[in-house]
Amino acid sequence: MANTHNHGDHDHSEDGGHDHAAAPMVDEISDFEVLELAVRELAIEKGLFTAEDHRAFSEWNDARSPAAGSRMVAKAWTDPAYKSRVFDDPLAASKEVGVDWSEPSGFGTTSDYMHLTVLEDTPEVHHVIVCTLCSCYPRPLLGHSPYWYRSPNYRRRLVRWPREVLAEFGLLLPPEVELRVEDSNAKSRFMVLPVRPAGTNGWTEEQLAEIVTRDTMIGIAMPKPGRTSDGPHPIHKASRPVHSGGRPTEASP
Amino acid sequence: MSGSTVGVQEQAEGHFVDLSRVTLLDSLGSEDQTWDKLAPRWCVTQPEPPWKVCLDATCDALSAGGALDSLERRHAEDELGETLYSEIPNPERQLVSLAHIMLSRGLMTEEELARHIRTVRARLEAV
Repeated sequence: MANTHNHGDHDHSEDGGHDHAAAPMVDEISDFEVLELAVRELAIEKGLFTAEDHRAFSEWNDARSPAAGSRMVAKAWTDPAYKSRVFDDPLAASKEVGVDWSEPSGFGTTSDYMHLTVLEDTPEVHHVIVCTLCSCYPRPLLGHSPYWYRSPNYRRRLVRWPREVLAEFGLLLPPEVELRVEDSNAKSRFMVLPVRPAGTNGWTEEQLAEIVTRDTMIGIAMPKPGRTSDGPHPIHKASRPVHSGGRPTEASP
Repeated sequence: MSGSTVGVQEQAEGHFVDLSRVTLLDSLGSEDQTWDKLAPRWCVTQPEPPWKVCLDATCDALSAGGALDSLERRHAEDELGETLYSEIPNPERQLVSLAHIMLSRGLMTEEELARHIRTVRARLEAV
């Protein structure tokens, strides 16, 4: 049997092989993979953007995830002074958990205007966010929005029947809890700071961050001990037509 | 754009999507090539394909460079996602919609895209 040595997080055998199986990967080229590359290369060839622009945005996108928002919430739960900064200067508070909203261009991206408001839940008031316009979302802190959040069905119905829509996600709010729906717009981004749940006394920031999932910062779920991931959510089709912006009335089918 | 028109094209305003079918895009990707079919077939657990990050970067770069505004793209995505491409799951739907919008806006032609698709596939399959 070959000797092994440790490389921190994995072992190598002395003969250069790996003792563990390689992570599975998709070993076929799909039409969609080809299309993505073709569109990108054609856009670069036509001068719509540069390869360097694309690399910068790819690296920025790749680094985004809800983990940053989770750290912000967990830190706010354990550090009252930091919690004040979250509300007073959320962009500075973001930097303290490693997120600079001015990246990657020096003024953010065209989809991430540098204006954030953190909404504090209490036992009496619950917040949920939406973007009825399109899919505005605090990407620097939460990563890319889930597709259900982008769907016209969610955007249309949440603002009309918020309690019912939350119930569909499994969140049943008592009638005495006030529910506020915050609609993002072209220049403002919102994130929910949920209530720290019971049963978490003495937890470290890292432990707390594990239960602050993406859905709890959107407001469609509540954090609780043992709940460390979000389940899949269905995407419903809109029953009425969706028209892209600018369509003149007489042109509507 | 080619194929039969199932919607309305209004060139005068220019800020909404052409709902004509695109033969090239319709010919792409049988259902078993979407990530939700590919990933379990290869025992891969990542929820999204590796190219999703690049697709989002392309959208960001197009907007930053002024070629395709993000809000206009999102509106067009919404309409295409509920009509022509409603049967395609995401993120493939987002990708095909982006290509459709770029063709619709004249940012590229079907011939150019078809040529690049052939070139890219040949390159990826060269080994």
